[in-house]
Amino acid sequence: MDQKNIRNFCIIAHIDHGKSTLADRILEMTDTVSERDMKAQLLDDMELERERGITIKLNAVQLSYHADDGQEYLFNLIDTPGHVDFSYEVSRSLAACEGAVLVVDSTQGVQAQTLANTYLALDNDLEIIPVINKVDMNNAQPDVTKREIEDIIGLDCSDAPLISARTGQNVHEVLEQIVTKIPAPSGDPDAPLQALVFDSFYDPYRGVIALVRVREGSLKVGDKVRFMATGAEYEVLEAGIRNPGEIRVNTLMCGDVGWIAGSIKSIQDVRVGDTLTSSDRPAEKPLAGYRKMNPMVYCGLYPSDADKYEDLRDALDKLQLNDASLQYEPETSQALGFGFRCGFLGMLHMDVIQERLEREYNLDLICTAPSVIYHVYLTDGTMLEIDNPAKMPDAVRIDYVEEPYVRASIMVPDAYIGAVMDLCQNKRGIYKEMEVIDTGRNSIVYEIPLSEIIFDFFDRLKSCTKGYASLDYELIGYRREDLVRMDILLNGEPVDALSVIIHRSEAYQRGSTITVKLKELIPKQQFEIPVQAAIGGKVIARTNIKSLRKNVLAKCYGGDISRKKKLLEKQKEGKKRMKAVGSVAIPQEAFMSVLSMNDDKRK
Amino acid sequence: MTNGSEKPYYLYLHVSFCRSVCGYCDFCHTVYREEAADRWLAAVAKEITEKKIRKDLLTVYIGGGTPTALNVGQLDRLLTLIDPYSQSCIEYTAEINPETLTDEKAVILRRHRVNRASVGMQTGDEHLLRLLGRRHTMADTVRTVEILRNHGIDNISLDLMYSLPQQTMDTFCSSLEEAVRLNPSHLSLYSLTIEENTVFHRKGYEHLDDDTEADMYEAAVRILAEHGYHQYETANFCLPQKESVHNSAYWNYMDFYGISCGASGKENHRRYDHTRSLRQYIEDPSAVEYTDLLPDDEKFEMIMMGLRLKRGMDLNLYKERFGEPAEARFGRALAKMKEQKMLEEHDGYLRATDRGFEILNEILVEFLDG
Repeated sequence: MDQKNIRNFCIIAHIDHGKSTLADRILEMTDTVSERDMKAQLLDDMELERERGITIKLNAVQLSYHADDGQEYLFNLIDTPGHVDFSYEVSRSLAACEGAVLVVDSTQGVQAQTLANTYLALDNDLEIIPVINKVDMNNAQPDVTKREIEDIIGLDCSDAPLISARTGQNVHEVLEQIVTKIPAPSGDPDAPLQALVFDSFYDPYRGVIALVRVREGSLKVGDKVRFMATGAEYEVLEAGIRNPGEIRVNTLMCGDVGWIAGSIKSIQDVRVGDTLTSSDRPAEKPLAGYRKMNPMVYCGLYPSDADKYEDLRDALDKLQLNDASLQYEPETSQALGFGFRCGFLGMLHMDVIQERLEREYNLDLICTAPSVIYHVYLTDGTMLEIDNPAKMPDAVRIDYVEEPYVRASIMVPDAYIGAVMDLCQNKRGIYKEMEVIDTGRNSIVYEIPLSEIIFDFFDRLKSCTKGYASLDYELIGYRREDLVRMDILLNGEPVDALSVIIHRSEAYQRGSTITVKLKELIPKQQFEIPVQAAIGGKVIARTNIKSLRKNVLAKCYGGDISRKKKLLEKQKEGKKRMKAVGSVAIPQEAFMSVLSMNDDKRK
Repeated sequence: MTNGSEKPYYLYLHVSFCRSVCGYCDFCHTVYREEAADRWLAAVAKEITEKKIRKDLLTVYIGGGTPTALNVGQLDRLLTLIDPYSQSCIEYTAEINPETLTDEKAVILRRHRVNRASVGMQTGDEHLLRLLGRRHTMADTVRTVEILRNHGIDNISLDLMYSLPQQTMDTFCSSLEEAVRLNPSHLSLYSLTIEENTVFHRKGYEHLDDDTEADMYEAAVRILAEHGYHQYETANFCLPQKESVHNSAYWNYMDFYGISCGASGKENHRRYDHTRSLRQYIEDPSAVEYTDLLPDDEKFEMIMMGLRLKRGMDLNLYKERFGEPAEARFGRALAKMKEQKMLEEHDGYLRATDRGFEILNEILVEFLDG
């Protein structure tokens, strides 16, 4: 295919505005997928993605389109993940395109993710085609939506297609605009190879597969290639495209989007954002924008059944093959036994991994509250990196502690500025600046401890702005703070998995909330259980779980036996899911209870 | 199990008709219609004939539902069906709902040798009676007890409930006093359990908090003891020698016949459950669902039932039935529970301690693991 007939684009949208539905229609209308093979939201491969309505792993498909001008075009549609945890991945997949189709739901108008995604696309110099979706709905307001896009984002919407992705109405017009408005890829086919790696995944038979966009030059099977950031070199054994089934090709030309395989054993060699070049004739420098992604959030993962430790290790091994940003190492807890300390990009990443472990690998997990990495400077001058509160040394040995701060940019409409500032202040945020972006839109910048962001910041932001705010943040370094380890004692015994590192000024408040929460979560047992929060042996909050006085079947006669026995079996199952720590049985939710603290703080 | 080869000595018959439906009830019940009850009687007759029941039953228990929901003629026909087997009964109980007992029905009961009545008083509080969906008043209960005594049925048990929504310690205690004033020989005390598929569950009613429930229970044990009623089972209290023979058979894990729609029975290492659908029962009264009881099931169930008795479970009977001492299957649980002072051995019986008795489920869960 001639380079001038290639169009590389992605679809961007706020959640539920119809991104995946439009992708499905495009696949159908370009005869890429027959209606028979069509399942809803084809690009969202994973069960979890389809269920949560979010895209986690990227996907790219090639389609051929016979345009109204009589020519044949080759479309590469690149799917993008939709969450701040993965904003780097999003930016790399956008970087692989020349244009973006911006889908806006005409029943809802411009929303937070509409903005965030649009700005990301503009950052990558993409041509944006606004599309007004769901015009077949009774409450559709296409004109209002158009005006909003023009006012808020500043995109000309005079010829924006009014479509229904559901029925296919006017989707043809979208395809035509992709041809006419999005530029063809520019690169020089004869230049040294520069291909952007925008995703990778592991195939059990062929090793790691890298998804690439060829920016300059070309590559073919048999070439020796080098990943410029990691330095890893491989021979290209296979190359191909997806449509969406895999099709092998001999050469990926300048402007093409495709995949390569080369018996690559480790996903660590294939980093998203890296540049692939030829070993024999390397490019002078890599493409701009590479960043090594490091975990920001850590938590302990333990099998609730100790016998499943090996299964958990196998599952993590397998997940890591596909996910270079997942890190883990074995750790032990007095309370929970053998498990792993795992590092994630953010809270959603953590949720997704936990859910996949439970669903795809059928593991029953206990997760401890997430933590960031603290820098603990000891009196002897050494510094420890602590990602597990239980590992925090004794206060007497500590000189001072530093915690990571982020610069958080929050895009928010006028009406919610106060609410957002309130939230940031509550989260120990330091106000930096506020900028009016468009009429009614503002960008507020705060410096906030990362530990405050990872707890429940995102959920809270959403609820206090009705979903209209969007958040982006970047690490800006470590700062000294008055941080202490708070231990939780049950029946006088500290439970290591419940310890948290917190700011001293918040200790009392959090201590009381956690102890009260634990009192709610831990069922009454045969003896009274004191629940205490303590800093360095000094108790700052306490409550009691009263002893169980009565637990007996109200009545049990001959005809009741089988039913009542089932009831007892249910009680036994409930007990089994609890962890015995010393003499106290603790339900799994208790280990996440420290997270709920801020909910209660405001009541 | 040695008693398995013999036919049961105990018979339960379920009358699934009610004149109205109570808010907390998840037992098998159907609203009474005369013509449906006639067809049901025919089905019961068929089932009893086919069962080849032994003629020298020790106890019969007519439960429900509401046995007295039947009209006089139907009640007579029902009891006539049982006559061939009940001649040597030492205890013949019928459940009575206060609003449905008449002099005529009492005459019929007595004529067929019914010698014990279990009366569903539930509470003496008129407001709570209405909340429960009961159609009777406290005055009805008083009248019912009088009728029964007039006709020579003086072994009377009263059912009471506690932990009812809106019930207070005061109203509960005065109900208890009212019950005692009627001089029953036996009392059953049930804390409200809100089961799914009940009106209460749908309405979102809740029983009282655990502490109040425990307070009420403990108050009841104390007050009843003061009046000479001793607790012989988790929910049952009586004057000396007035334990329910029939119910004790359940707690001693004996075999028993279960007759009619909604009833379950246990014979010869098999449990059977009748359909709860009246229509299906009338179509085929002998259609039951069987569950084979494995030795491990029976060992557990014997303990589960036996520990409800104050006296406890007969360890010798256990050994006789299973050919091994309880330690063989439950060594771990026994040792643990004895060490925690939840269980103790006394006079050849395994029994719950005062502490263990009120939290029996915690003990039984240990035995589920063997």
